[in-house]
Amino acid sequence: MESEVSSILIAAHELKAPMSLIRQLALSLDLENQDANSHVRSQIIDVSERAIKQVNDLTKIAHLEDGLFKMEPVSVRGVCDDVVAELKHLFRFNNRELNIRYTNQSRLVIANSDLLHSVVYNFCLNAMHYSDQETLSELTVQDHNGRVRVGVRDFGPALPMDVWREMKRGWIEKPVSIAMRPGSSGLGLYIASTFSRYMNAEVGAVRHRDGTSFFVELPISKQASLFG
Amino acid sequence: MIYIIEDDKIMAECIAKACKDYETKIFSNAIEAMANIDQNMPGLIFLDILLSGPDGFTFLNELASYSDTAKIPVVIISSLNLKDQDLSEYGVVGKLNKDTMYPKEITAYAKRFADQSLHSSSH
Repeated sequence: MESEVSSILIAAHELKAPMSLIRQLALSLDLENQDANSHVRSQIIDVSERAIKQVNDLTKIAHLEDGLFKMEPVSVRGVCDDVVAELKHLFRFNNRELNIRYTNQSRLVIANSDLLHSVVYNFCLNAMHYSDQETLSELTVQDHNGRVRVGVRDFGPALPMDVWREMKRGWIEKPVSIAMRPGSSGLGLYIASTFSRYMNAEVGAVRHRDGTSFFVELPISKQASLFG
Repeated sequence: MIYIIEDDKIMAECIAKACKDYETKIFSNAIEAMANIDQNMPGLIFLDILLSGPDGFTFLNELASYSDTAKIPVVIISSLNLKDQDLSEYGVVGKLNKDTMYPKEITAYAKRFADQSLHSSSH
């Protein structure tokens, strides 16, 4: 019970940040001229959409056991392209770059496209928050030991050992506060880890001296081999 | 010159907008800000606490350890509840809560301290 309460508190803390931002942006509308106001309005929309997405992901976690998320052959490149298209603007706004590199053989994976989208999205968003300014984050899709590995590499503070150990175990039990990576409760990683587990995918992280790579490994669809 | 040390770019821009009558410089981390301070001594610093790398408290310690930077007034802008903490010995002249602050409060600090530094530097 105590751990549940602490998870809720950590998640609430992370969700409070976008609400504070939206409030400040709304207040700053009074300080702006017409042109600048439209920029602020688009920021309000961006921040709200990200917050809504996170709340949606939390809602999905509650419904995973209901079997609402169908597993089917999914084009992993299609999902990654969508995420990059969605986040590219946000990366640029924050003086960072997000690139994508494919070396896999265009295989389909067994996944739920909605959940896979959230996993990749959360990894990328995590990379944006924790990479240094003017650095490149790279989303890679590659074949790896009979699976497809989707990984995101960032260049920033190294991942704390306790979180890395949880990732190594392949499962984050609850959101954990990441002191080295402020502004985050690790909620995104918790969401990614929970969705991956549901999809029988494996998540993991590699610590580098200058950052971290997070990855998810997905089973290849047999349907894909018919086409491959 | 006002320094804004805040790792959320949108929040930093909101603070800068409230100081639009003053020259501002935004830093996303404490190291960058400290590296710039010798070339361009600010009249006021708005400081977030939870930063990537060294946090705001580490920055305050660093600031207080040099005779020239120890005099720079600092306003903490954080979602942490610090209202009962006396940080005046670190040059903290005010604390604003990110969740409840208004732009006019930021402007008031800018007016009070950045203006003051302009006057004192002209004498």
